[in-house]
Amino acid sequence: MQSQPQAVLQISNLHKSYRNQAALQGATLQMAAGEVLAILGPNGAGKTTLISAILGLIATDSGEINLFGQLQRGTKRSTALRQRLGVMMQIGAASANLTVREQCDLFSSYYRNRRTVAELLDIAGLGSQANSRFSSLSGGQKQRLLFALALAGKPDLLFLDEPTLGMDVQARRALWQQIRQLKASGVSIVLTTHYLEEAEQLADRIAVLQQGRIIALGSPAELTAQISGKRICCTTALTDQQLRALPAVLQLERRQQQVCLVSQAAEQTVLALLQADASVSALEVKAVALEQAFLQLTAKKEAA
Amino acid sequence: MSSMNLYYKEARYDLLSIMRTPGFVLPALAFPLMFYLFFGVFFRAGAGADYLLVTYSCFGIMGPAMFNFAAGIASDRAHGWLTLKQLSPMPFSAYLLAKLSTSLVFSVCILILLFSAATMFGDVRLHSTQWLLLAVVMLAGSLPFALLGLLLGLSLSDKAAPGVVNLIYLPMAFLSGLWLPLFLFPGWLQQLAWLWPSFHLSQLGLKVIAQDQGNSVLAHLGVLALLTAVLATICARLFRRR
Repeated sequence: MQSQPQAVLQISNLHKSYRNQAALQGATLQMAAGEVLAILGPNGAGKTTLISAILGLIATDSGEINLFGQLQRGTKRSTALRQRLGVMMQIGAASANLTVREQCDLFSSYYRNRRTVAELLDIAGLGSQANSRFSSLSGGQKQRLLFALALAGKPDLLFLDEPTLGMDVQARRALWQQIRQLKASGVSIVLTTHYLEEAEQLADRIAVLQQGRIIALGSPAELTAQISGKRICCTTALTDQQLRALPAVLQLERRQQQVCLVSQAAEQTVLALLQADASVSALEVKAVALEQAFLQLTAKKEAA
Repeated sequence: MSSMNLYYKEARYDLLSIMRTPGFVLPALAFPLMFYLFFGVFFRAGAGADYLLVTYSCFGIMGPAMFNFAAGIASDRAHGWLTLKQLSPMPFSAYLLAKLSTSLVFSVCILILLFSAATMFGDVRLHSTQWLLLAVVMLAGSLPFALLGLLLGLSLSDKAAPGVVNLIYLPMAFLSGLWLPLFLFPGWLQQLAWLWPSFHLSQLGLKVIAQDQGNSVLAHLGVLALLTAVLATICARLFRRR
């Protein structure tokens, strides 16, 4: 059977304002089953607002939200739908007075297709702290428990809002590994992050969110290609103004002696650069890394 | 079967979580007993130990019902635990019934303490049917107070909730004649008492021992039932809409 994978999530033209502040300004995207989608953006870009709107925690002003092909009305989400979702919110906590084991037992009882307490303890990696109360866990351990609780109902679609926030490098890598395993087992995952590396490591596609709009959407490679430019670094006597006037220059950064330019047509820029200043030294031309592509995308939109 | 299990677990863990908060359990159980022993048994503040048993029972069951809901839910909300539950397929009724059963457990404990104190130290002698009826009236009567607590818990911050509950609980208890019998109050305060749900509950309790003010049972029941229905409707909306 050759069929188009079903869209598990489809949102179009979501708008949401708080008082006079626009948090979402026409966010549109869709996501296929089994995909890992990273929503990447600086703090305040609207990531949590977007997730909250999809989950029905807040009402949007306009726009459409489809989950598993069903149009969602207002903030109502059916119980049948909730059975298929798993959520880890950025500001999450379990009951302070219950132990890790008790929370797992309670949460898995909510789901028809549930994981056992032993499985959840294993996912959280908290087998030895099973009898500790939530309030006595470290920040990273709390995050791991909340991650496990999000998986209590073997969700088809998992939302992770900044899941590695506050984790050390080791814990972060361990969580990445678990996310990869989930993906391999066919779970669709929406992940918000402001760590570019995280998005690059995990996501099939990245949606760059800026001021409530999705300004770019594609695989990490596609996003890099959207910025067709190259990065030219050198030491030169030219002023910033002269450098900006060179052909095809999009962006300029100066670090003491060294200047880096992002150019749409590196050959033209280099030729003009050498004509204008024969004393140029330490010249390097490199492809733009995703990080620069991301910075450039967000900077361009801000200027526009 | 599995949904029964869900309701049971929700209730069990709600109770367990509260029992692990000594700062809640001890005052909730000790205050009504202390107040009753002091004002009802030794001091006999304006009425017999049997009259004051009813009013202090009413006072005793109101506290945990309101505090368990208001403070517990406000703190669940503040820390994000309630959000996780709202996003899960857990039915709202399971959450509500769990909180209710917890407040019933506290109410039963308080009634046992007060009834024992009344028999042992206050020489209160009632028919077994009267004891039973009084207990049933008080337990059922805790429902509107629990819902009032739920409403406060769903609308106030975790910092504000306990203070606001006290601000409602204590004046309402006093003005309903739970500390000092209502018949000692000036007439206009006795009229005003019709506004407070605790007045209606205490009158129903006093009817059991034939010491009420003689208003119709249906009027008191009607006010409490109406209040319960209104509060339940508002709470269900608040819970699903946030």
